[in-house]
Amino acid sequence: MCSRKTAFRSTCVAGILLTTIACLNACSGSTTKDPIRIGVIGEESSVAGASLTKAAMMAAEEINAKGGVNGRSIQVITYDNHSSAAEGVRAFQRAVSDDKAVVVLGSYLSEVVLAIEPWAARMRVPFITPGASSNDIPKRVHDDYEHNKYTFQATTMSEFVAQSVCDFSHDVLVKQFHLKNAVVMSEDAAWTKPLDARYLDCLPKAGLEVMDHIRFNPDTTDFTPIFNQIERKHPDVIITGISHVGVQPTVQWHDQQVPIPMAGQSSQATNGTFWKDTNGAADGVITRNTAVPGVALTPKTIAFVEDYTKRYGLPPAYCGYSSYDMVYVVAEAIKRAGSTDPDKLVEALEQTDYIGTSGREQFYGRDDPFTHTLKYGPGLITGVHLQWQNGKQVAIWPADVANGKIAFPSFIKLSAK
Amino acid sequence: MLARQILIDGFAIRALYALGAVGFTLIFGVSGVLNLAHGGIMVIAALIGWFTAGEFGAGPYGGALVGILAGLASAYATYLLVVRPIQRSRAIPKEESEIFVLTGTLLWGIMIQTALAYKFTDNPVTMRPILPGVVTLGGVRTPRNEIMIAVVCWLVIGLVWLLVNRTRTGKTLLAASMNPRGLTLLGFELSRVHLVVWSIYGVLAGLAGVLLASFLGTGSGNAGQLTASAFSIVVVGGLGSVSGSLLAAYLVGYLETLTAYLIAPTLRPIPALILLVLVVYIRPQGLLGRR
Amino acid sequence: MRSLLSSRLLWGALVFVAVAAVLPLWLSAYVLGVLTAGYYFGVFAMAWDLLFGFAGEVNFGPTFLIGLGAYTAAMLNNRFGLAIPWCVMAGIVSALIGGLLLAMPALRLRGPYFGLVTLVAVLLLQNAIVIFAGVTGGEIGMTVPDVLSLSAATNYWYGLAFMVICAVILFGLSRSAMGLILQASGQDPIEARALGFNVTKHKLMAFSISAVFAGMTGALLVFYMGTASVGTLIDISIGVQIIIAAVLGGRRSILGGALGAVFLIGASEVLRPLGQLNTFVVSALALAVILFFPDGLLGHVLRRREAQ
Repeated sequence: MCSRKTAFRSTCVAGILLTTIACLNACSGSTTKDPIRIGVIGEESSVAGASLTKAAMMAAEEINAKGGVNGRSIQVITYDNHSSAAEGVRAFQRAVSDDKAVVVLGSYLSEVVLAIEPWAARMRVPFITPGASSNDIPKRVHDDYEHNKYTFQATTMSEFVAQSVCDFSHDVLVKQFHLKNAVVMSEDAAWTKPLDARYLDCLPKAGLEVMDHIRFNPDTTDFTPIFNQIERKHPDVIITGISHVGVQPTVQWHDQQVPIPMAGQSSQATNGTFWKDTNGAADGVITRNTAVPGVALTPKTIAFVEDYTKRYGLPPAYCGYSSYDMVYVVAEAIKRAGSTDPDKLVEALEQTDYIGTSGREQFYGRDDPFTHTLKYGPGLITGVHLQWQNGKQVAIWPADVANGKIAFPSFIKLSAK
Repeated sequence: MLARQILIDGFAIRALYALGAVGFTLIFGVSGVLNLAHGGIMVIAALIGWFTAGEFGAGPYGGALVGILAGLASAYATYLLVVRPIQRSRAIPKEESEIFVLTGTLLWGIMIQTALAYKFTDNPVTMRPILPGVVTLGGVRTPRNEIMIAVVCWLVIGLVWLLVNRTRTGKTLLAASMNPRGLTLLGFELSRVHLVVWSIYGVLAGLAGVLLASFLGTGSGNAGQLTASAFSIVVVGGLGSVSGSLLAAYLVGYLETLTAYLIAPTLRPIPALILLVLVVYIRPQGLLGRR
Repeated sequence: MRSLLSSRLLWGALVFVAVAAVLPLWLSAYVLGVLTAGYYFGVFAMAWDLLFGFAGEVNFGPTFLIGLGAYTAAMLNNRFGLAIPWCVMAGIVSALIGGLLLAMPALRLRGPYFGLVTLVAVLLLQNAIVIFAGVTGGEIGMTVPDVLSLSAATNYWYGLAFMVICAVILFGLSRSAMGLILQASGQDPIEARALGFNVTKHKLMAFSISAVFAGMTGALLVFYMGTASVGTLIDISIGVQIIIAAVLGGRRSILGGALGAVFLIGASEVLRPLGQLNTFVVSALALAVILFFPDGLLGHVLRRREAQ
C-alpha cells in the first residue's frame, strides 16, 4: 500500500535523474566526422554578440555553396554564453570535447575571451575573437608563446583603437576645427585600461591637451554629475571609451544639452539601431567603427552589408564583419595547412594575408610585442570614423572614404575657430 | 555653484526612485510581500511604452499611457499567478510562506528579465522626453523634462500619502497591514484589499518605469539593479512607510551623488551599501518603520 | 520507523553512488564536466539546507561565504603560489570568519530582515572585489595556475567523492542530537530556550558548519574551473540557483539538495539548444515546483513516509 507508493515515487525520481543524464549524453553526441566543425560563441541577447554568430553562419553557407573546403563542408555550431565568462568557458569545452570543433570563434567581451584563453592553451585548439579588444589577449600570446599561440585577436586592439582616435583627432578636430583640449571619459572596464593609457599618450601628440580623465562605474545610469564635472573644465571635446553603456549617456548628453561634442569610441553608437534606441539623441555623436554602411572600404564591404541586412533584417554590428572574415580566413588556413591539426593551423593562420570586409587582415608575429593581433595602419586596417546625422551614419575620416561633412547639433558650442 | 548643481541634479532622479520605492513598500506593508520582480515590472512598462511610442507611432503620451497599463497588468499577473497561489497553498506551512513568496517573485523576476531580453535584446532604450528643451534653474542648466518628472513624482507620492493616511480606503489598507483577521471580522473582504494595493502598486511601478525610460533610459539588464535600489531605499526608510521611502530615497540618493561628485564616480554605490548595513544593524525597522 | 526510513534512503543513496561512480566509463568528457559542476553545487545546496531547513535561517546570499572561500584560495595560489590544500584551508578559515560575521545580526533579526542582510553581504563583497580589482582581478576574474586535474574523469571522481563525503557528514549532523536541537530552535526558539537548550550556541554552530562547507567547496570549485570570477561564484543568480536546487530537492532533507543541484544543472544543459530561453524555462520550471510541489522531489518521498 503506502510502501509501494513510496517505492514507486523513489523509482520515479531515480528514473528522472537517469533519463536526464542519458539525455545529456545523447543530446551532446557528435555526428559524422566529415564536415569541418567551427564553434562560434556569442551573446545572443546583445546586438553585437548576436551579430557575431549570424555573420559566421552566413560565411559558412557561402563557402559551402561554392564547394566547401577541399570538398568538406563547414558546419558552424553556435553557443550562447549569456555574457558570462563561466558559460563561455563551458561552451568552449563543449565545442572542443563534445562537438569536436577544430576552431572556435568567440565573444566580443574581453572578460569572456580572457577566461577562455588559458583553456585554448590547455586544450590546444585555435581560438579567434572577432570583437574583444583588450591588450592582454595578444600580450599573453607574446609572453608565453608556446602555450598561448592558439589564440588570435581579429579585431582592432584597444591601443590601436586609441591611436585611430588620435589620428582622427589630429586630422579633423585639430587641423580642421582648431580644438585645443579634451577630457577623456571612459567606463571602468578591462578594455579601456590600455585604451585610456594610449589616449593620454597620443592625444597631446595629436594636438589636444588632456585636461581630465574620468573613469566611471559601468553600472552608472545617471551621467549628470559626470557631464557637470566635465563641463566645469571647459574642454573643447569629450573623447569617449564606452561600450557597456552608450544609449544612456548619449540621451542624457542630448537632453541636458551639454555644449561639448563627443568623439572617440562608443561601441553602442556603431549599431545600426542606435538612432532608434536613443530616439534621435545620437545626432552629432562621433565614433570610430570597423566600417560604415555605404562606404566601400574594400570591394567586399558593400556586398557583405547588403547580404547580411537582407537576410537578417538589420545591418551587421562591428564584430559581425570580423566574424564573417574569420570564417573565410580559417577556411583558407585549412587549405594552406592541408589539415586541421592545431599546430599546423596556427602556423597557417599566422601567414594570413586576406582582404576582408573592413580592410586587409594580417596578424602580428611572435617577435612583435602584441602577437596574433590584427595589424593596424594605412593599407591594412584603420577603421572608419562616423558621425550620426539625420538617422544615418556618415563617414568622416579617413578622407579617402569620407562621404559627408561634420555637422554638430545646435546646442554644441564649438570654441575658437 | 557646485552645491546648487548637486542639489538640483539629484532631485528628479531621487523622486523617481522614491516613486518606485513607495509602491514596493506599500505592497510589503499591506500584503507582506517583498516583490523581487519589482525591477522587472518597471522595465516591462518602460519597454512597452517605448515600443508603442516608436513602432506604433503613438507618441510620448500614448506610449506612456500604454506603458503604465502594462505595468498594471504585470502587477496583477505577479499577484494572481505567483503571490496569491503561494500564500493560499495548503502545502506550505504558514511560517515559511514569506520565504516561498520571496523565492517565487525572484524566479518570476528572472523570467520577466529573460523574456524581455529575448524580445528586445538587453540594449537600453529611451522614450522621447515629453517636454523637450532646457531651462536655467538657479544657474544650473536643467532639462524641462527633468523638472516635469520631479513635479509628477512628488504629486503622485503626495496623492498616495493622502490616500493611505486620510481616506477610508487608506485606513482599511493600514488596518489590513496591522491586523488582517480583525479586519475580516469587521466585514471587510481581504482579497479586495489586496487587489486594491496591487492595483496602486502596478500604476506606481508602471509610471516610474515609463518616466525612467524618458529620463535616463533603461533596458532589461537594469531590472535587477532597480529592484536592489528599491529595497535598499525601503529597508533604510522602513518597510511599510510611505514618508520613510521618500526620506530614504533622498538620503541614499544624495549620498550617492555626493560620492560621485566629490570622491570618485567608481565608488558611487559604496556609501549607500554601508548605510544599509548600519541601518540593519542599529535600527532594523528602518528610519520611520513601524514593525 | 526511522530506521526503516533511513535504510530505504541508505539503499537508494548507495545505488545512486554506485551508478554515478561507473558513469565515466561511457559518458563523454563534457557531460562528466557538467555533472562534476552539479556535484559541487550539490554541496552548496546541502550546506544551505542545513542552515535554512534546520536553523531556520534564510540565507539569500550563500555566495558570500562561497566567494570568501573561493577568492581567498585563489588569491593565495595566484600571489604566493601556495599548494592547493593550504589555499583551500585558508579559504575555509576566511569563510568561517564571514559566517560568524553573518551570524551576529542573525541572532537579533527575524525572517526577511536577516535575508536582506545576507543579500547586502553579497553586494558588498561583489563591490569590494570590483573596486580592488588590482588584487582580485575585478570583473574579469583571476586564473589560477594550479588545477585539480586536467582529466575529466579524475575531476569527476574528485567531485563525486567530495559530494558523497559531505553528504554523509551533513546528513549525519542533521540526524544527530545537534540536528534535532537545531530544528527545534529553528522552528520555535522560545520553546527551545524554555526547554533549556542553548539556542545561540547551536545557531552559531549551524552558521559555522554551513560556512566551512561553503568555503571549502568554493575553493575546490576554483581549482576545478581554473578561474575565479564574480560572475561564476558570487553573482546573486548563482545564489538563486543554489536556493532553487535545495528547494527543488526538498528542504530539510539535506540529500535533496544534492539531487536538486544535479537535476538543475542537468536540465539547463539539456535545454541549452533553446539558447536564450533556457534560463526562462528553468526558472519557470522551478516556479512551478514551488507552486505545486513545495516539498520538492525528495521531500515529497520522505514526507509520505513520515506521515504514517
